[in-house]
Amino acid sequence: MSSTVEKVRNIGISAHIDSGKTTLTERILFYTKRIHAIHDVKGKDGVGATMDSMELEKERGITITSAATFCEWQGHQINIIDTPGHVDFTIEVERSLRVLDGAVLVLCSVGGVQSQSITVDMQMKRYKVPCIAFINKCDRSGADPFRVIAQLHSKLGHNAVAMQMPIGLETDFRGVIDLLSMKAFYFEGENGEQVRSDEIPAELLAAARSKREEMIDAASLFSDELTEAILEESPIPDALIMDAVRKGTLLRKFTPVFLGSAYKNKGVQPLLDAVNRYLPCPADVENTALDLDHEEALVDLLPDSSRPIVALAFKLEDGAYGQLTYVRVYQGTLAKGAVIVNTRTGKKTKVGRVVRMHADQMEDIEAANAGYIGALFGIECASGDTFVSPGINLTMTSMFVPKPVISLAISPKDNKSQINMSKALNRFTKEDPTFRTHVDEETNETIIEGMGELHLEIYVERMKREYGTDVETGKPRVAYRETITQRAEFNYTHKKQTGGSGQYGRVAGYMEPITEGEDDFIFDNQVRGGSIPTQYIAACEKGFRQCLAKGPKMEFPVTGVKIVINDGASHAVDSSDMAFQAAARGAFREGYAKAKSVIHEPIMKVVVETPTEFQGGVMGLLNQRRGMIVGAQDEGPTTVVEAQVPLGEMFGFSTVLRSSTQGKAQFTMEFALYRQIPQSIAEKIAEEVALRKKSAA
Amino acid sequence: MLKNDLILRNPLRQLGFETEDILPAGAIGAVLSHAGVGKTALLVQLALNGMLRSQNVLHISLNDPVNKVNLWYSELFHHLAGRYEGAQINSLWESVLPHRFIMTFRVESFTVPKLEERLSDLTEQGIFSPTMMIIDGLHFDESRRSDLNALKALAVKNGMHIWFTVRTHRHESAGLDGLPVSFSAVAGLFDLVLELQPERADVHIKLLRGSGSTPAGSPLLLDPSTMLIKDKEL
Repeated sequence: MSSTVEKVRNIGISAHIDSGKTTLTERILFYTKRIHAIHDVKGKDGVGATMDSMELEKERGITITSAATFCEWQGHQINIIDTPGHVDFTIEVERSLRVLDGAVLVLCSVGGVQSQSITVDMQMKRYKVPCIAFINKCDRSGADPFRVIAQLHSKLGHNAVAMQMPIGLETDFRGVIDLLSMKAFYFEGENGEQVRSDEIPAELLAAARSKREEMIDAASLFSDELTEAILEESPIPDALIMDAVRKGTLLRKFTPVFLGSAYKNKGVQPLLDAVNRYLPCPADVENTALDLDHEEALVDLLPDSSRPIVALAFKLEDGAYGQLTYVRVYQGTLAKGAVIVNTRTGKKTKVGRVVRMHADQMEDIEAANAGYIGALFGIECASGDTFVSPGINLTMTSMFVPKPVISLAISPKDNKSQINMSKALNRFTKEDPTFRTHVDEETNETIIEGMGELHLEIYVERMKREYGTDVETGKPRVAYRETITQRAEFNYTHKKQTGGSGQYGRVAGYMEPITEGEDDFIFDNQVRGGSIPTQYIAACEKGFRQCLAKGPKMEFPVTGVKIVINDGASHAVDSSDMAFQAAARGAFREGYAKAKSVIHEPIMKVVVETPTEFQGGVMGLLNQRRGMIVGAQDEGPTTVVEAQVPLGEMFGFSTVLRSSTQGKAQFTMEFALYRQIPQSIAEKIAEEVALRKKSAA
Repeated sequence: MLKNDLILRNPLRQLGFETEDILPAGAIGAVLSHAGVGKTALLVQLALNGMLRSQNVLHISLNDPVNKVNLWYSELFHHLAGRYEGAQINSLWESVLPHRFIMTFRVESFTVPKLEERLSDLTEQGIFSPTMMIIDGLHFDESRRSDLNALKALAVKNGMHIWFTVRTHRHESAGLDGLPVSFSAVAGLFDLVLELQPERADVHIKLLRGSGSTPAGSPLLLDPSTMLIKDKEL
């Protein structure tokens, strides 16, 4: 293992669906000699790509969980996280980005910057991950890498600069010209493993020179020495340009762009060189933790192996080897036998085995140093937990976890399935924070919640395959919410005198909608003069909170309500916590009835990419589903239609879209906002709720 | 309430036109200026004003992607409604949005028959029928005459009016009528031509051609900091 941190790269490969991430990763592993044969994603050999280790992934040709793997290239150790492309699994992408230092943004030379790339790019911005771009599929008909570079500018706001130029395009794509060394590269041998460098073809020389100039110009912004060299018109050393490009890339102000076709084995090796040259090593990236002993003050972490351990568990996997915990070590050395503390639970554990993962095979190592990604065995934790050396109390910043928008009732078909189902759910919820489960108190059904139809579908499939659990699923249910639209006063007295000690409590105040910020609930105590004794205030808050889970209107969770209590009364003998909780519940119902409550539904941002001839039909489909079309964007042969559509109307959309566009359109969907539902729909939902209640009873 | 307030505050009324839309159905108008002075901002405000009165606006952009056009609208709207309460603004914004449809084309692939086809896709399925159309980013010269005639016919047929942005260049001298030479060849087709002129710290909105009247002493201005139309100099 290379031990210097400068030679470590923790990178992610992220992109739109079907841009060829997994194929690219496969090639990288092959060229770095981690694997000895290439298996294609939907290959005829039936093996499937190495990174898609889960059976389901192989079958569907998509990557669901991000397997972490490592390889070595030119003396550098590269840890790769293969991230899933579908939006439903973005929690995986987010978690990967959290632990990565840099990323390769893969784009399709035909499709260009597609909707998912935009989402992924936003996530990279959030975690300030520097990236380089790889324009894949240059052999496809309609390939136009320079159009994609223009889109990187216009759609993502990247300062994208070509570092290479294609030699031929589409079926004629033969190799790439490196604008740094001004050489042409061809990829020969059965699997393109031999890179032959040659002079630039004469007909492309002039174009290459002008592109090189553009590239150097753009890079000169980051290096005074380079600017001087340009002004003096002296020969420019490659190292000077590389330094400037690297500086720009680390600042996220320069995105070097590389070209190729992973499937045709072209352009992958130069991309690996670029990863080593331009993407940051762990020491280049600032990482901070929160110090729990000092009111969560920020603490800088140094990738120094001799300091106390700080490591983050970013992924759990329950595989053939037992529970495996993927960790990124930020500081210190996570060695066999070291004692670590889980900051969340305070539990002390001794590290048993430390391994390095390569898709589903693994290799034992002695220790994972600062900056490295490794995996631990038999550690009890949830994903997102921080491990530290005893004596320090740091936690990595909490990761952004979106709330689920869709739910599904499941029930096991037989007794055996019952036991396995709970095992499966227990594991899935630990692995994926966006996947949740609970038992509905009224219907006694097990409910699973997640980020989209496909998200839940995949888990149901996994239950079947990995746990042999056959479950019946109900109709997916949308996570509606209730909220109020106007201020309303309440003044409620709870009084009971039925033998024994009585109950007495009066709570008065008002409720109003929360207009700013993201808070779901605010409780403001403005009681003066002790009309409600201080010891009962907490009981009041508890009472109000109890009402939030099920709104009085249609029993959906209540959000966006601010409660202010300003008066009340108590009784020396009969008042109690219980009495005030009951009074608060009564007060809530009283106020809520007057506060003009409404139902909100989740609205999804739906982006459909369709060949232009079907765009009219696609807009019709979206319109039928209560969609509000934001716009239609002409992208040459395709049109991108963007719309906001209620989630409740999106069930089965993929089938309808496929059949009405001859399977040529694809769409992505992500949660956008909650919006009030129209009256007619509210009535329909009320009927459904009533029906459900009846059948449960 | 907020909606009525915003409509009333609309300083465009000061231009002295009889109808709220300035242009009657079937008419076409143009806003001229150098790059970056505020043509799009002015037209987006006209559009917002229409949307607040429940008129459907089809915004066609030949330069910018949908998201950027959308940003123009949301920024200007929130500036316009800036002094009102957050929740109210948001719900009003949500309610005017369905009155807008953004369509983008690439400059090189934009043709009138293509636009007509897209438009009928929308109207025939009952998805969207615009009463106002904005075409942002078209290049003008004599060769556009037939396109403009076709667009005018389209406006008449669909009972809508169309606004164009016309980018002028500093190096280009103005003709006798005060219009840039390249534009004056087709200027006759327009029912109304406005020009944006930066003067000191403000941008003046001037009527070059058309039937409105600017009351003397109160020029209409565009505030360069917010790009909002205002009726007084600072």
